[in-house]
Amino acid sequence: MTFAWRTVGMNYLQYSSIAARALRRTAKPELQSEIAKREGMAIKVAKWEAGKSGMPAPASVIETRTVAEN
Amino acid sequence: MSFITRTLKPATALARSTRLASRFYASEATGAAAGKLVVNFALPHQSVMTSQEVNQVDLSAVSGDLGILADHVPTIEQLKPGVIDFISDSGSQKYFVSGGFAIMNPNSVLNINAIEAFKLEDIDAQAVATNLAESQRLASSAKDDITKEAAAIEIELYESLQSALLGKSK
Repeated sequence: MTFAWRTVGMNYLQYSSIAARALRRTAKPELQSEIAKREGMAIKVAKWEAGKSGMPAPASVIETRTVAEN
Repeated sequence: MSFITRTLKPATALARSTRLASRFYASEATGAAAGKLVVNFALPHQSVMTSQEVNQVDLSAVSGDLGILADHVPTIEQLKPGVIDFISDSGSQKYFVSGGFAIMNPNSVLNINAIEAFKLEDIDAQAVATNLAESQRLASSAKDDITKEAAAIEIELYESLQSALLGKSK
């Protein structure tokens, strides 16, 4: 039995983090500060070209909400 | 003389352990009280339950809904986003998990791993409704398969969460 997410090219790590992020968004506001500490644990990848660093971006994250620009 | 004792030792050790295994039930041997499950429920950032004794655990697995009691046949189940209900003498405690695995061991020890889990009372129903609408919008407007599938995963989770919250308020 193949999962739908597997057939479109997603792996289990991506699937489980999408579900985890979806659930985190629904927690009550009082818990959100604790949750924010957890969300920051992503691996950031910065691509270097000709001596200049590109913007560090979280590696292989499937975004389902538009991230606010800093 | 010493050679004989050296060869005899492993044999008697084996005989001793086989006799033990044939005399006791697995749950008695490890100290789990008769008829009780010992639950370890862990998240990456928090140990929700450590060696907690419960009577029954209801969970929602990919292979179907399970009610696990003590001495359940050992199994590894992938969990769907859904409610895990821990039923003990003092009542039932419900957590909504985003997914994970439940591993039932031969000695009535149940290990549950999840990435995120919240008690139902810690969930904001309005946030669920808003996020469900947002994910449905994404599902219809997504151009590539992966984003569409990501939206579908979120929709499934939010719908399951909504029915869990409704079930609780009954």
